[in-house]
Amino acid sequence: MTLLAVSNLTKRYRRGNKTIAAVDDVSFHIDPGETLALAGPSGSGKSTIARLALRLIEPDDGRIDFEGGDFLALSGAALRARRARLQMVFQDPLAAFNPRATVARVLDDPLRIHGIASRGERPRRIAALLERVGLTADLAPRAIHEISGGQRQRVAIARAIATKPSLIVLDEAVSALDVSVRGEILELLLDLQRQEKIAYLFISHDLGVIRSVAHRVILLDAGRIAENGDARTVIDAPQSAIGKALVAAAPRLNRTGP
Amino acid sequence: MSPLRRFLRTPEAVAGAILLAALIAMALSASLLFPGDPQAITGPALLPPFQDWSLPLGTDRLGRDVLAELFHGARTSLAVGLAAAAAALVVGAVVGTLAGFAGGLVDEVLMRITDAFQTVPSFLLALAFVSVVGPSLGVVVIAIALGTWTGPARVARAEVLSIRERDYVAGARVIGMHPLAIAFREVLPNALPPVLAMSSVIVAAAILTEAALSFLGLGDPNRVTWGGMIAEGRAVLRTAPFLSIVPGIALVLTVLGVYLAGEGIVETTAVRRGLS
Ligand SMILES: Nc1ncnc2c1ncn2[C@@H]1O[C@H](COP(=O)(O)OP(=O)(O)OP(=O)(O)O)[C@@H](O)[C@H]1O
Ligand SMILES: [Mg+2]
Repeated sequence: MTLLAVSNLTKRYRRGNKTIAAVDDVSFHIDPGETLALAGPSGSGKSTIARLALRLIEPDDGRIDFEGGDFLALSGAALRARRARLQMVFQDPLAAFNPRATVARVLDDPLRIHGIASRGERPRRIAALLERVGLTADLAPRAIHEISGGQRQRVAIARAIATKPSLIVLDEAVSALDVSVRGEILELLLDLQRQEKIAYLFISHDLGVIRSVAHRVILLDAGRIAENGDARTVIDAPQSAIGKALVAAAPRLNRTGP
Repeated sequence: MSPLRRFLRTPEAVAGAILLAALIAMALSASLLFPGDPQAITGPALLPPFQDWSLPLGTDRLGRDVLAELFHGARTSLAVGLAAAAAALVVGAVVGTLAGFAGGLVDEVLMRITDAFQTVPSFLLALAFVSVVGPSLGVVVIAIALGTWTGPARVARAEVLSIRERDYVAGARVIGMHPLAIAFREVLPNALPPVLAMSSVIVAAAILTEAALSFLGLGDPNRVTWGGMIAEGRAVLRTAPFLSIVPGIALVLTVLGVYLAGEGIVETTAVRRGLS
């Protein structure tokens, strides 16, 4: 069974007096427990696809099926309930949280909203989530802006897995982290995938990282799919012009990876 | 440096704080120092100030203690000013947040209503409202708030429009938070600082409006108000000018105090946000 099936997805924006297609007739699918990477030059439509898949913006055309149901048909309370299964981790972990929030509140919200744990039980669940992502429970009362960038991204992952999702969208989720922290976070993501069979829609401009963590990759160019296939095959021998350009521009393709 | 010490470094803010503290002390001690009805007759009519030390500021046309009236008037001014400003800020923040966050038709409708209120001069609006509904403390508060909530609404909306595009609002949607919870729990608190920065001006304006309404005889008739005292004194302006001058000075000092202290607080918090 496919987990997410996107067909003929199109999103247009007006720019001045002409319209541009940020996403143009894009179709793909993700299986349970699989990592699909999206790569492409800046402005090629990666983030737009992520936001469409999350129903943060609405497509002009196309269809999205998630866990066997028409995802675009959901609205209101039904959509909010379904969101438990489809989560996101943002690029900038500082911007992704309410500046007034504490770690505990950030993790309390999804547990409360989806009725996952009673009020009395939640502190224990929060502690367990923090430990699951390699943090300690004493971080809970700290303000979000008081912890390090790496810790913050771990909290973002803890929040994303709080509702036991089947798919997490990662839009440049490791790009803002320095190299050693990035390796640790990727390791954590791979571990979560092995343990909980979570699928990832993994957006990155780093082909080295994609090659080491993704099963399949889609290369986008100006809103269209230029090439797609097995991640190693595509990155080792790109067929499309944009694929060759991206590989040529990659500083050094780390072929070992985590 | 602590915010308090930074606040105390500006002489204007300190002057404002002292004036405001004096006003609050007057309002709080009014019924302790001058128990009983401040509108009761306590001595000969039109006694000038500093003649009789049991009536230090003299008496008015009917022989009422001016100092007692002044203290009780401080209470009315402060209560009406704060209540009207609070009502205006709350209504403005809620309307502005809903308009900015919902966008579309809701925004359009709410902003047309805001425009409509803003085109009518706020004092005229208050005057008309009190004339129709009848003067009482609550009505005066509503009347003043009616003309002042539009400013905070516009500022709140502008702030919400920029905040709602931030990642953390998208994050709140992704975890399934209800739109109203996002608007009022996640967005509104972060949109408040510039709205609260308007509060000193709004309180000062509300106190002045209350005085003007009372001056025109549209204040609560059961309460002593400075505006009412000035109006009373006008009849004997030539023979007993102090009856208008004393409450007039109190009014000017109060408005000045509220304004200076408020600006001091805004300054202090602005500096703090700039530094962090
Ligand atoms: N809200 C919007 N209004 C107008 N145009 C938009 C909007 N969002 C995206 N676009 C346009 O759509 C195109 C795709 O943008 P998108 O953010 O999806 O690119 P991206 O692949 O994520 O780029 P990057 O690698 O820089 O993050 C760009 O041309 C962008 O300017
Ligand atoms: Mg992007």
